[in-house]
Amino acid sequence: MQNNHPYKKIQDLQRRIAVYDDEAAYKELFFFFFHSLTKFSAGIVQSKETAEEIVSDVFISIWNDRARLQEIEDLQLYLFIAVKNNSIRKLKQQSKTRTVSIDELAVEMDSAYQDPEAKVLSAESLQNIEQVIEHLPHRAKLILKLAKEDRMRYKEIAILLNISVKTVDHQLAITLKKLATALGATFRKKK
Amino acid sequence: MNRDKIWHLFARKLSGESSRDELHELESLIEEDSPLKYEMDALTQLWEQKLPQDAEYLEATYHLHYEKMKKLGVAPVPAENEQVYFETGKRNSFKKRRFIAVFGFVSVLLAAAIVFLKSEDQTPQKKSTDQITHSPNEIKTKRGSSTQFKLPDGSTVWLNADSKLNYSKINATGIREVYLTGEGFFDVVRNPARPFIIHTESIDIKVLGTTFNVKAYPDDKTIETSLIHGSVEVMVKNRPNEKYLLKPNQKLVLMNEQYAAKREKDQRIMPVNIPIVFVKQINYLQGDTTVSETSWVRNKLSFEDEPFAELAKRLERWYDVSIEFKNKEIEEVELSGSFEQETLTQVLEALRFINNYKFKYKVEGKQVVIF
Repeated sequence: MQNNHPYKKIQDLQRRIAVYDDEAAYKELFFFFFHSLTKFSAGIVQSKETAEEIVSDVFISIWNDRARLQEIEDLQLYLFIAVKNNSIRKLKQQSKTRTVSIDELAVEMDSAYQDPEAKVLSAESLQNIEQVIEHLPHRAKLILKLAKEDRMRYKEIAILLNISVKTVDHQLAITLKKLATALGATFRKKK
Repeated sequence: MNRDKIWHLFARKLSGESSRDELHELESLIEEDSPLKYEMDALTQLWEQKLPQDAEYLEATYHLHYEKMKKLGVAPVPAENEQVYFETGKRNSFKKRRFIAVFGFVSVLLAAAIVFLKSEDQTPQKKSTDQITHSPNEIKTKRGSSTQFKLPDGSTVWLNADSKLNYSKINATGIREVYLTGEGFFDVVRNPARPFIIHTESIDIKVLGTTFNVKAYPDDKTIETSLIHGSVEVMVKNRPNEKYLLKPNQKLVLMNEQYAAKREKDQRIMPVNIPIVFVKQINYLQGDTTVSETSWVRNKLSFEDEPFAELAKRLERWYDVSIEFKNKEIEEVELSGSFEQETLTQVLEALRFINNYKFKYKVEGKQVVIF
C-alpha cells in the first residue's frame, strides 16, 4: 500500500523555487507544511503564536537559501528538524530549562476528523477514539500524528525524534491496538 | 503472539511500510480473526481522511509572512508579476526576467512611497468596461475602456479604448462591411462568398475569414494591420493601384498622413526616411505565443522596442489621461515591457527605473507631465 505522500510534488516545488525563484511554488510549499509544522512546534514551545513565528522564520531561511534547496533530499524531514531545533532553542531561552525531552511534548492531534459525507463511524465511536488519543502518552501521540497526519515514514520519525525505527514500529502497533479495542467496544455493544 | 503481530502489520500497512509478504500475512491473519475486520476497516478509512485545509487562515498567515519578508528585504517577486514569464515559456531571455524582477522590486518600493505621496492617491486606475455606448449598429468606447462583442454575422470584435465601430452595413443581404476608427481585433467568420470589409479613414481591408488586428487612431503616427492567421488584402485609399496581401504573422504599417501633416505644421521633426507603407513581421514577445500587437485583447499592455512617445499615446488611452513631454530626448527612447494590473504610477515608476531615472513625472488629476 502506498502511503500517499506527495514526495514527487514537493521535489518539483523545490526545483521551481531553486531554479526559477517561483513565488507561486514557494507559497504552495508554505501552504502544504505550515499547519503541521506549527502544531509540531507548539507541542514544544506551548504557544501557537510563538510556533507560527518559528515556522515563518524557517520558511524565510528556506527562501534565502533557495539556491541550495535542491540539495535537500527529504525536505519534509529537513523542515521538521529545523523547526524542532529552533523551537527547543526558543524554549530554552524562555524557560531557562537545560534539557528538553521529546517525550514530554504535548502535541495536539487534529481531532479524529471524518469527512461528514463518509460517515464511517458513529458519533459515539468517534468520541471513544478521541478519548483514547487524548490519553495516549505524549510520545505515542506524537508518533501517531507524524505517521497519520504528516504521512511520515518510520525512518523519518525515528530520525526526527532520535529514537529507533523499532520503537516507532512498536509504539504505533500499540496505539492502533488501543484504538481498535475502543472501537470494538462500541461495535460489540451494538450487536 | 499473533495478536500483537497483527497490530504491527496493520500499523505498517497504514504507514506504507509493509512489504508484499507482510501484506499477505496480514490478510490471512485477519481472515482467522474475522471480528477485527470491522475495526481495521474503520481505522483504515479514518487514517486516510485528512482535515481539510483552512485556506483563508493560511492565506492570511502567508500574507503576514510575506510582509515580514518584505520588511527584511527578501520577499520573492509575487507570482502575478511573473505571469508574463510563464506565458512566454521557458526560453525567456534574461532581459525580460530581469525587467520583471525589477518591476516587482519597484512595486515594493512604491508601497512604501505611496504613504508619503498623498497626491498619488488620484492615480488613474486601469481600464474599466463601464464606458461603452451601444447605439443601433454602432459601438463606441471611451478612453480607459475596452469591450468585446459579436457582430450580426457571428464575427467577434474586441474594441480597444477610444474607438468606434459602425456595422450598419452588415445585414441580411449578405454584405459584410464595417467602419472603424481606433483599434479593433477581429475574428471573422469564414465565408468565401461574402468577403468582410473593414473601412478606415485611410485603408480598406478585405478578408475572407481570419484573425487580425487593426490599429487606426487618427492621432497615431502609423496605421497598422497585423495578421494572426488567414489572409487579408489591404487597399490604401488614395492609391488605387496599390494592394497588399498579408501573410500570417505579418503586419502592414502605414504612415498616417494626417498625423504627418499635423506634425509638419507643428514644425516638429518629420522622419523622412520611413516609407509611407511597409510590411514587417509581427512582434512576438520574447519566447513564443504572445503577440504584443494583440495583447490588449487580454487586458494586457505590451510593448517591444516602442518609442516612449508612441507608448505614451497608448498609456493615454489605456488610463484615460493626457501625457505631455517636456523632455524631447526621452520621447525617442525605445522601451519594452508588459503590464497588466498596475496603476499608472506603478507603470511610470517602472519605466523610470529601467531608464536609470533619466526622467521625472508629475501626475495631477488626468494630466501627466514627463520631464
